[in-house]
Amino acid sequence: MRKNDRISIIVAETSPIVAAGLNVCLKRLPGISAIPYEARNYENLTDLIREHHPEIVMVSPSFCGVFDPGKLRGSLPEEEFKLVAIETGSLSSQTRQLYDESVAVVDELNVMAEKLSRLINIRPDDNEEKDSLSQREKEIIILVAKGLTNKEIADKLFLSVHTVITHRRNIARKLEIHSATGLAIYAIVNHLVDLKEIKI
Amino acid sequence: MEGYTPDHKMADLIADDYRLIQVMSRFGIRVGFGNMTVREVCDSQNVDCNTFLAVVNFITDDNIAATPATPLSLDSLLGFLKSSHSYFLEYCFPAIRRKLLEGIRIRTSDVSFLILKMYDEYVDEVRTHMEYEDRTVFSYISGRLEGAPADNTVTTYSDHHEQVADKLRELKGIILRYCPEDADVNLLNAALSDIYRTEKELESHCLVEDCLLVPAIRLMEQKKQGEYHHEEE
Repeated sequence: MRKNDRISIIVAETSPIVAAGLNVCLKRLPGISAIPYEARNYENLTDLIREHHPEIVMVSPSFCGVFDPGKLRGSLPEEEFKLVAIETGSLSSQTRQLYDESVAVVDELNVMAEKLSRLINIRPDDNEEKDSLSQREKEIIILVAKGLTNKEIADKLFLSVHTVITHRRNIARKLEIHSATGLAIYAIVNHLVDLKEIKI
Repeated sequence: MEGYTPDHKMADLIADDYRLIQVMSRFGIRVGFGNMTVREVCDSQNVDCNTFLAVVNFITDDNIAATPATPLSLDSLLGFLKSSHSYFLEYCFPAIRRKLLEGIRIRTSDVSFLILKMYDEYVDEVRTHMEYEDRTVFSYISGRLEGAPADNTVTTYSDHHEQVADKLRELKGIILRYCPEDADVNLLNAALSDIYRTEKELESHCLVEDCLLVPAIRLMEQKKQGEYHHEEE
């Protein structure tokens, strides 16, 4: 999973106060973009799992009586979700063992986010890689800004057109700019080319 | 959500959600309807009430399409979408361009003219797309309604909507990040606010096409198919 991918989380909690609070917290988790769904009862929980294929299911160990994690997993063998216990009181170590993780109502948001990220392997933001352009990419931006086509760039740099397109795709991902005009603006502002060299 | 019904007062709809003024006017409904209900206003101004309400409820219910109880009038829906196109192309985009032009103090000595160029390229792309819809998709539907033969014009419909939205996102990013420092703050803010609002309106417009128009076309094709088989028998 990458940071900011949207993940589905199903919350099964009997207490409306805790459920509503958790709902709000999940939407505010730093670094995780979560879409929470609330399960009303056991049947609704399994329906929601089948419908949304959630990455995470958060359950109160006392949901609908005594909640049986093994039974839930057994009844939905094709679904790959992580099961997180919602701790409102203290949990016995035996109970905790039945879950992949547990989140306590007293947990700070960043603690909760950390636990959930670890569970579904969210990679931290690769900001460094995101912002820095390679020398080759800069050369290509300059040529795009000057109005050269991919074919002309390929000829000039002794590359295949395919390679140029791959570079352009990487540039677009790093800068969030796809269009030639947008790249020209970037190149001028960052002093890669002079305004006079821009062909309109 | 229950949604609005034909018996709601038209004025209440607008009071609840001012975006509906745009919807009304694109259906050709003029303001000044006193205390009339939605049904009365629609009847008096020859608008298909069912289709009008489907669009209204779709937009106010966060773009969730309910299956309409009675089939929508494709004619009315097309009329609505066509006047939306003219609204964007003839009113919205030129107005934003004027604000940008004044706000960014366009000149050839810095990137300002490139920002305007980018804006023009974006508008050109939207124009091409909307004209394509007017010319190809909408006229295909009108033709079908009058009995022209079927083809697969409508199969590749919504892909292009994504591309147009991406382009606008890029433009916004460029203006925010690389706008010249001496831009007129108020005019630039006005232009940017207009761009954000227009973006929302365009999104909603595209969703009406994807979620209301496309299913309505499908329904029409099924019905026509049924009639065709019926005639064969």
